[in-house]
Amino acid sequence: MSAQLEDIEQLGVYQVYTGTGTGSGFLIDPRHLLTNCHVVEPFREVAIELRDRARVIGRVRRLHPHRDLAIVELAEPLTGEVLALSDAVALKPKQPVHILGFPVGLPLSLTEGVISHPRQLLDEQFFLQTDAAINPGNSGGPILDDARRIIAVTTCKLNHADSVGFGIPVTDVRRFVEDFRAQDVAFGVQCPACEQLIEDAARYCPSCGLDLDRNHDLADYFEAPELPPLVAFVELALARADVNPVLARHGSQNWSFHSGSAPIKVWACCSEHLNFSSPMAQTGGRDLNELFQYLLAAEHAPFGFDLCGNTIRMNLVVHVSDVFAPAEHDALADRAKEFIRRADRIDDLLIDTYGCRPAADSRIELLGTTVLQPA
Amino acid sequence: MPIAALGFPQPIRRRVDVAPRDFGSRDRAIAAFEAGRHIDAVHETFRYLLPRSSVPDLTQAEYCFVQGSARIRARILADRLDVSAVLAVLAPDRGATAASRYLLTRVSATGQLHQPRLRDGVITLEYSDALSRSHPQKLAEVLQRLPTEADSNDGWMVERFGVGMLDREPVPELDDGEFARAESIWSKHWDAVSELLSESRRRRSTAFLDSLGSYAVTHMQYALPLFGALRADLNEHADEFNNREERADRRDRALAKCIKEMREVPGPSLRRCLGHSTYAINPLHEGTASLLSSVFGTGGGMQTTGELRASGRSLESALNLVVDYLYLLAYFSWPREIEAMLRGGLDLASDKPFREVADLLWNHANRLLRAFGNHGEQDGDTEDGRGEHRDRHDSPPPMPGLEPELTA
Repeated sequence: MSAQLEDIEQLGVYQVYTGTGTGSGFLIDPRHLLTNCHVVEPFREVAIELRDRARVIGRVRRLHPHRDLAIVELAEPLTGEVLALSDAVALKPKQPVHILGFPVGLPLSLTEGVISHPRQLLDEQFFLQTDAAINPGNSGGPILDDARRIIAVTTCKLNHADSVGFGIPVTDVRRFVEDFRAQDVAFGVQCPACEQLIEDAARYCPSCGLDLDRNHDLADYFEAPELPPLVAFVELALARADVNPVLARHGSQNWSFHSGSAPIKVWACCSEHLNFSSPMAQTGGRDLNELFQYLLAAEHAPFGFDLCGNTIRMNLVVHVSDVFAPAEHDALADRAKEFIRRADRIDDLLIDTYGCRPAADSRIELLGTTVLQPA
Repeated sequence: MPIAALGFPQPIRRRVDVAPRDFGSRDRAIAAFEAGRHIDAVHETFRYLLPRSSVPDLTQAEYCFVQGSARIRARILADRLDVSAVLAVLAPDRGATAASRYLLTRVSATGQLHQPRLRDGVITLEYSDALSRSHPQKLAEVLQRLPTEADSNDGWMVERFGVGMLDREPVPELDDGEFARAESIWSKHWDAVSELLSESRRRRSTAFLDSLGSYAVTHMQYALPLFGALRADLNEHADEFNNREERADRRDRALAKCIKEMREVPGPSLRRCLGHSTYAINPLHEGTASLLSSVFGTGGGMQTTGELRASGRSLESALNLVVDYLYLLAYFSWPREIEAMLRGGLDLASDKPFREVADLLWNHANRLLRAFGNHGEQDGDTEDGRGEHRDRHDSPPPMPGLEPELTA
């Protein structure tokens, strides 16, 4: 490994979460993150996760669907190191490359390889081709040279081939960033043909006349995405509980966040069930019978507890048929809100009263236990 | 001397004689629910799942039905529907801690609508929700899963943890003649599985171990009316030795351990776990023409069996075919003529050399398929997914109408 890449944690490379999946992105300045268009679309707001797992909102400012690039403005400036865009033009096969990103949702990881082809032509565009490992979640992350300069942005790989990954060349990235900095427009999409900025939904590109609806569906980028009923219900329930749904999104039909110190996960496990679950504590070594009797007590209904190994989880199951009954939404959202509220209270109780230990993802050591109130 | 044949005496388990489900009833339940007639929807859902039962007005009276050793009680109070079954009474000793941990680990779960609840030392499996949140699909899921879970766990928890019994349905014991036959089937079966395990080790074939694991479970499931602790123990072992994700040597060891334990089961314990349970809701899946076609048609399973047979590997091909027949008989209910023909296949194969069994069952399966298979057309009754299950048969198929699920 290059001596300049021994401490990757300080670099301004972050994970991007949306309602369809996760990807990677890197700072182009403390307030802006560059990533792939396919990572953020169809959303106009995304969540950026920091090293301490806190999240900040990012507002999508620019999209270049054809070149698969996007720029996101962060709600607050980040302190990670801004990596420089390389000005080297003479990249060569066998030149080492280093890829930073969040493969399959894992923490920041570095993979290495070489340039297989510096200007591979695919679908009428040039790409940097590499044999370095690229996995889902790497998209939007930087591809670096030995001098720790960005030479491309990870975008895709061939599924049915080994070690054939592609990056968007830095020349295209540089042009995209420079265009963005030269413009004073809140949101815009670049025309696939002439790359002129389109500020409003239009049938034809004002500059080159390209039919933007046919094959490109550019109008979709100007509209808020229509959420499926199940997603809409969950996000309604989260909003009721004062949880920002955008910050909670964790991929398709998955949400994760903390309620005080208690971690909460929400997911659709099949076509019929929506689960709210809080893996809140680990069993301790004493008073287990009393603990188990407390967890099984009927008073917790409609919530329940289970044990996954030694991890105590509080659960709420919602049947999808209820989600499709709008008259029930208020009652169900209130139930979810109560679940979220109670999880934060009960994790403290389990630790204080039953000698449990905080769960791996708990923030109890960070926040301390709260004063217990009656349910 | 290596094993030369397998025997398939007439099963002690009685035929489950249930009326076929009326899907029209289910559709009427959904229509009633969507029209806001929630009480009608609940009653219609009960009629769909319990077609021969006379379900009272649940707003006026509690209804209790029996599923194996579990008594399931349902009632409507105010605007809520409650469905419950008592599992056990916890005693304040170490057994209670282990029982509670078992309940929290294996019975409580995400992704299920019923949960165990503790009141005054009594553990009950419960579903309780507003009528307006008891859609027929949701209720059908509860009425199939909760009783199955209660029937699977109540006796086992008594045996394993020494918890107390409450509100359980006594299961009529076998008479002396039936038990003598059952004991013979039991001991011969585990002797045969033991010898086949030796053969599996000699061949060092994972595919053979797959078939053997399936045979070990499905034959007992088909032949004996097992319930309670022994059935739960056998299923627990089967989860290990039929786990295709696990290393073959571990699966081999798990099967050897199972054989040893099953052979050591004392007669009285075996007798306690055999009985003719009654079921208000069909515990089996309804067999369909498309299922026959998927098992005996030109798919991967029969192709493999055919190739084994053609290459002279008669033990493997015979065992594969036997497992197919046992699987269809053990986990599915069939019209009498199809069941008789399936049973006829086992009669043909019983105590015959494997080379003969491979030929006899191969030809028999093709005749069965021609007579009752769906010959490529969709038979319309696969909406529950029951016609789609096909692989080697080491575990029961998913519950009718329910998708396989994942839990975190």
